[in-house]
Amino acid sequence: MKLNIEGLLVYFPYDYIYPEQYSYMLELKRTLDAKGHGVLEMPSGTGKTISLLSLIVAYQSAFPLEVTKLIYCSRTVPEIEKVVEELRKLMEYYAKETGERNNFLALALSSRKNLCIHPEVSALRFGKEVDGKCHSLTASYIRSQRHTDPNLPLCSFYEEFDAVGRQVPLPAGIYNLDDLKDFGKRKGWCPYYLARYSILHANIVVYSYHYLLDPKIADLVSKELAKNSVVVFDEAHNIDNVCIDSMSVNITRRTLDRCQNNVDTLQNTIHNIKESDAAKLKEEYRRLVEGLKEANVARETDVYLANPVLPDEILREAVPGSIRTAEHFVGFLKRFLEYLKSRLRVQHVVQESAPQFLKDIFEKVCIDRKPLRFCAERLQSLLRTLEIADIADFSAVTLISNFATLVSTYSQGFTIIIEPFEDRTPTIANPVLHFSCMDPSIAIKPVFQRFQSVVITSGTLSPLDIYPRILDFRPVTMASFTMTLARTCLCPLIVGRGNDQVTLSSKFETREDIAVIRNYGNLLLEMSAIVPDGIVAFFTSYIYMENIVASWYEQGILENIQRNKLIFIETPDAAETSMALEKYQQACENGRGAILLSVARGKVSEGIDFVHHFGRAVIMFGVPYVYTQSRILKARLEYLRDQFQIRENDFLTFDAMRHAAQCVGRALRGKTDYGLMVFADKRYARADKRGKLPRWIQEHISDGSLNLTIDETVQLSKHFLRQMAQPFRQEDQLGLSLLTLEQLESEEMLKKITQIAHQT
Amino acid sequence: MDDQGCPRCKTTKYRNPSLKLMVNVCGHTLCENCVEMLFVRGSGNCVQCDTPLRKSNFRVQLFEDPSVDKEVEIRKKVLKIYNKREFDFPSLREYNDYLEQVEDIVYNMTNNVDVENTKLRMDQYQRENRDLIQKNKATLTREQEELEELLLLEKQGNEQRRLEVLQEEQRQLQARRKNKQALLDELEKSQVPATILLAQHKARAAELEVEIEHQKQSVKPATLFSSGIQRQTVSLLPPPKIEEVLYKYKALHIETYGPLVPELEQLGRIGYVFIFFTYSITIKTLTQQYSMLGLRECHYLSPEGGAVKTF
Repeated sequence: MKLNIEGLLVYFPYDYIYPEQYSYMLELKRTLDAKGHGVLEMPSGTGKTISLLSLIVAYQSAFPLEVTKLIYCSRTVPEIEKVVEELRKLMEYYAKETGERNNFLALALSSRKNLCIHPEVSALRFGKEVDGKCHSLTASYIRSQRHTDPNLPLCSFYEEFDAVGRQVPLPAGIYNLDDLKDFGKRKGWCPYYLARYSILHANIVVYSYHYLLDPKIADLVSKELAKNSVVVFDEAHNIDNVCIDSMSVNITRRTLDRCQNNVDTLQNTIHNIKESDAAKLKEEYRRLVEGLKEANVARETDVYLANPVLPDEILREAVPGSIRTAEHFVGFLKRFLEYLKSRLRVQHVVQESAPQFLKDIFEKVCIDRKPLRFCAERLQSLLRTLEIADIADFSAVTLISNFATLVSTYSQGFTIIIEPFEDRTPTIANPVLHFSCMDPSIAIKPVFQRFQSVVITSGTLSPLDIYPRILDFRPVTMASFTMTLARTCLCPLIVGRGNDQVTLSSKFETREDIAVIRNYGNLLLEMSAIVPDGIVAFFTSYIYMENIVASWYEQGILENIQRNKLIFIETPDAAETSMALEKYQQACENGRGAILLSVARGKVSEGIDFVHHFGRAVIMFGVPYVYTQSRILKARLEYLRDQFQIRENDFLTFDAMRHAAQCVGRALRGKTDYGLMVFADKRYARADKRGKLPRWIQEHISDGSLNLTIDETVQLSKHFLRQMAQPFRQEDQLGLSLLTLEQLESEEMLKKITQIAHQT
Repeated sequence: MDDQGCPRCKTTKYRNPSLKLMVNVCGHTLCENCVEMLFVRGSGNCVQCDTPLRKSNFRVQLFEDPSVDKEVEIRKKVLKIYNKREFDFPSLREYNDYLEQVEDIVYNMTNNVDVENTKLRMDQYQRENRDLIQKNKATLTREQEELEELLLLEKQGNEQRRLEVLQEEQRQLQARRKNKQALLDELEKSQVPATILLAQHKARAAELEVEIEHQKQSVKPATLFSSGIQRQTVSLLPPPKIEEVLYKYKALHIETYGPLVPELEQLGRIGYVFIFFTYSITIKTLTQQYSMLGLRECHYLSPEGGAVKTF
């Protein structure tokens, strides 16, 4: 259908539309109009992706100069593929309606591992190996060496692409990863480099968060993307953790050992080159004396995305004299490395700030702050000059040099924690230096600064106002949309007591309490008797799950449950889990269904959807608080309190509730779907916890569904399931939660729609 | 670390965890016992390189690689002499050249390249720059000063936070105690039945708790961003949507309440314009011209201020 969104003609590829989709598009349009950033929350299964795509594509074709590119960031490869498929549908609709093929170029980008078509390289199993091997075939100096020695191996796909691929742009169309591979095979071009090159002139790019947020990757891939692009972070409820992870560095004893090898290799290579080809080093030296002017010019003319690992002031200055020649730099690295080794030899936990670290390093090994700051850049230059083929081998020393640059650049927002052993195994020495970032805004800042509109969206972003605070930006729109429903197809219940009035809670004091465990078991048993098909149960951690399941086994509860349904368990092992999932789905397809026991924050809770009969009920055993004794978390909480005025408890609850909402939201993936949501912990009934659930769940929690006993829960569930089991046709939805174009344009509906968006 | 050992007696850290390794200026290790044994007389030669050594120069080995220990030792010595700062040089380029030179000296000394000449060079430098070295000894480099400042700030911040928490606790304690005392007093003096008083007290206590909770929430806002930029106001509310009316140009209309301003082309005829024809003429020449024109009193706009002067 064709929609009119505040004067913008939007092609929407379906015959019906949900009212909240319309409302979502309205807000999105306002965000784009204002050229600002936005935070939008809309429940999962209400067509967020297609609303986003159709509005932005319409905006792009209406104002081709204002918005040149859409950068769509998602988390996993299957999600990326899903987005591309939606886009394909949209484009087909465009072609049908307008009668002509528009020249949109949209493509997905992923790692070499997913895109490589070289027969040998693509056979490798790990991403790092593929990268390293690819690099050893395609690096520029390898290729220049081949001029003199034609026997060196080469990647014909890359050569072909390099020879012709750049002149001819990729023909317009929609390419997912397989399409790119097919195209590459047909032409004999490398799909990875083709994709990387093509994103510069593509209209829509779909890739993973890391290509934009991880400074190392962003510098390679995304730095030349145009300023007037719209960036969308989908499923962004964890974006702060992604930012933090991309800036944090963990150094173990093994890293240092590998680093030692790297440094030795560097030294030997320098020694060899000095004898054979001293001119090369001289040339590098001359360039360094001149300074990093080229990079600076590029940044000033605003061609590149800023890189938090490469601060501005570095570009303005030349490399300090003390690390200018190759030998001196290697000596410098050696000293730094030995210093880190000596630090890792501690007997007790040390926590210090960056200035303390810098002071100590100056006293111990006479390293100033300035050369440290240039370390990452200097190492890159050296590696380029030495023409070392396999960059993957040098990941350790690169890591160390990044750490050096970060620690000397940011005096705040980072903390250094050295732990001589893990808390669980205090007798085994396993020293780790955590250089942990506490300020997610550092990593995401360049993105907000560079691109005109950044939209953060997910099914669970409540409470909305915390994201602008921790990411340090000013949104122009913040909205949370609820689901309009023809029937209440979700039923959140908060179970607070067992039948024997024992309080149900996963809090630390009652973890081992046999009565609580038994009541949890009874809850699952009763539910397994009345819920058809699949039940997914989430625990707060693997250890907790193990304890409880063991205890259930002893009490005979498991046996009773197994009379009703089969039981599958998620484990930390990815292969085992995917096996369990597959069998679980198989069991849901036939027979009496199954129960999947899994863990909040695990793989299942984040990426797997349980549509329709795969998940008729979700039971959340306990509140999934993060492990609060970790020192990194403590430091971060302290930082949040001092810098952002977010209290520890607020943040912990916020974090626990967003994970609980994620888990619970797994079962409901659309309006025809239905699911029970059982929160089995007394603490959920409290206002501060309940208030942090997304609106679309919150509004269905009535006073009658708080602090229930197991019996009451079973009664309510039975009633709900019986209601839901009635036939439900499209006609029931029409006009209420599903609209045709005429219905949409009626006066009263438009009025209703404006109310859907709850501005916070 | 475990496989490190004394090259002479072959003891390793693994066999003797309390083994203490020592390094001297030549960068070769010996364990503490061997040092005691070989250098009873206070001096002797290195077992490995025959360099004459003093016992007092032995240091505990800090790093795994003894050559780093040696280098750091040398570096500290060299930096004591070569302690010029960035502002002692006319340009950054020269400062960098100087740094490289220092690095060269350290490199030569550690790797025993051309030691004699290097030493001579150092001595010469020391003689030439004696005053500057003395002067710079007292001052820290700018970077170190910055670091010190940051550390100080951090310390102050921590101290302040601790004090605040302490004060807060004190205040709460006092408030609670006062409340309790008030109840006791009332129970003693008042005529009202005890149950009502107790109920009142309960309500008051709840109120107090709420208030305390409230105070806890309003944590003092920090004044700096992590980037070091001053933070002006901290709004906990979402920022307001900006809804401004766009600026629209309107022709300027001035109400003068005086006689009508003459049209531009009439100005010359009436005789206003000649004052403005050039600003470059000084006041002196202007007055001359006026007297030549027969004007005794004149109003003109001064070119620098725009104020009206009379003379």
